[in-house]
Amino acid sequence: MKSEDELVDEVLKGNHRSFELLLQPYRQGLLNMAYRMTGNLEEAKEVCQEALIKVYRYLDKFKKGRSFKSWIYKITVNSAYDSLRKKRRFEDLVESQKKVSLSSGQDPEKQLLNTEIKAKIETCLKGLSPKEKATFLLRDGEGFSIEEASEILKCSSMSVRTHLSRARKKIREQFEKINFADTKEVRR
Amino acid sequence: MNCKKVQRLLPLMAGSDIPQSKILSLKAHLEKCPECRQEYDSYILSLEKTKEWLAKDGKDWEESDWQRVLQRAMKDKKPKVSSLGLWPFKKVWAYSLTGMLAVSLTLLFIIRPSIIQKKMGLGSEKFTEEQSQLFRSSPEESKQEVISMTIVSKETGLKIVWFLNKNFELEVKE
Repeated sequence: MKSEDELVDEVLKGNHRSFELLLQPYRQGLLNMAYRMTGNLEEAKEVCQEALIKVYRYLDKFKKGRSFKSWIYKITVNSAYDSLRKKRRFEDLVESQKKVSLSSGQDPEKQLLNTEIKAKIETCLKGLSPKEKATFLLRDGEGFSIEEASEILKCSSMSVRTHLSRARKKIREQFEKINFADTKEVRR
Repeated sequence: MNCKKVQRLLPLMAGSDIPQSKILSLKAHLEKCPECRQEYDSYILSLEKTKEWLAKDGKDWEESDWQRVLQRAMKDKKPKVSSLGLWPFKKVWAYSLTGMLAVSLTLLFIIRPSIIQKKMGLGSEKFTEEQSQLFRSSPEESKQEVISMTIVSKETGLKIVWFLNKNFELEVKE
């Protein structure tokens, strides 16, 4: 199996198949990261599209020996920030996520469960600033280390810890509200 | 460690983001403080549940979408003027232009004024004396004492010159 640096070299020589192989392990993670950041699947796909265009265009700037994963996540997170800035979607985030598209082929019970989970995630993440959300998603969603997250977000490890701490605190507060509401529901 | 300090560190401890050196003292505090323990447990629960929800609600690409995105990314032409080619030159240009600008500014503000002073005789003893005289003389001193008025006839070419004093009285010149 070829290393990422070898695949990068092949893409730079014009091998398109290597580009697909290079991105294959991260395709789901990138989409999820963009989706949580923007709150909308279609917008997340656009963010990924923008990010991948940049990845391909600036691939010769990627420093070999460094983490390719961190590099493409950095580009995706920045594209998500750009998208949010452009469309000023922070205010509409809750509204857009309420419009859950129900796929026709899915089991109704499963659909309901998915909608419920989606709403819970939304509630937990809604009070977070974009930076806190990105930090939380990178560390707790994608499993990056503090140092990797600091490289992706272009800030110090100390700053990542501060954002992460705030994010977890806010999430816990929201989680307790959800838990309280659920307990109330069961008692009825 | 007191409760306030411990509670500040609990969100990071819940995700194992605390240095090993602090964990022992935190654990020791949690064993004897039920309030902090309860808070720690709620952090753990909220974090675990959120991670679980995120995993359950994970999205994936439809193969056709993914292929379309990849194709569009690769359609984008790479800039032919790559950084490897011209970037060092760009840097050289930037540095040399900055250097030239710095030299010009130095000449303009430091060397040039002294040249101008020398050329115009500014700063010399004579110039200083003239200057000081100019500023010393009062308006009374510099007042004009005599006014002359000349009339020339076009036909005959006769020229008459009047001299008037400061009271506009005619002065007779011998």
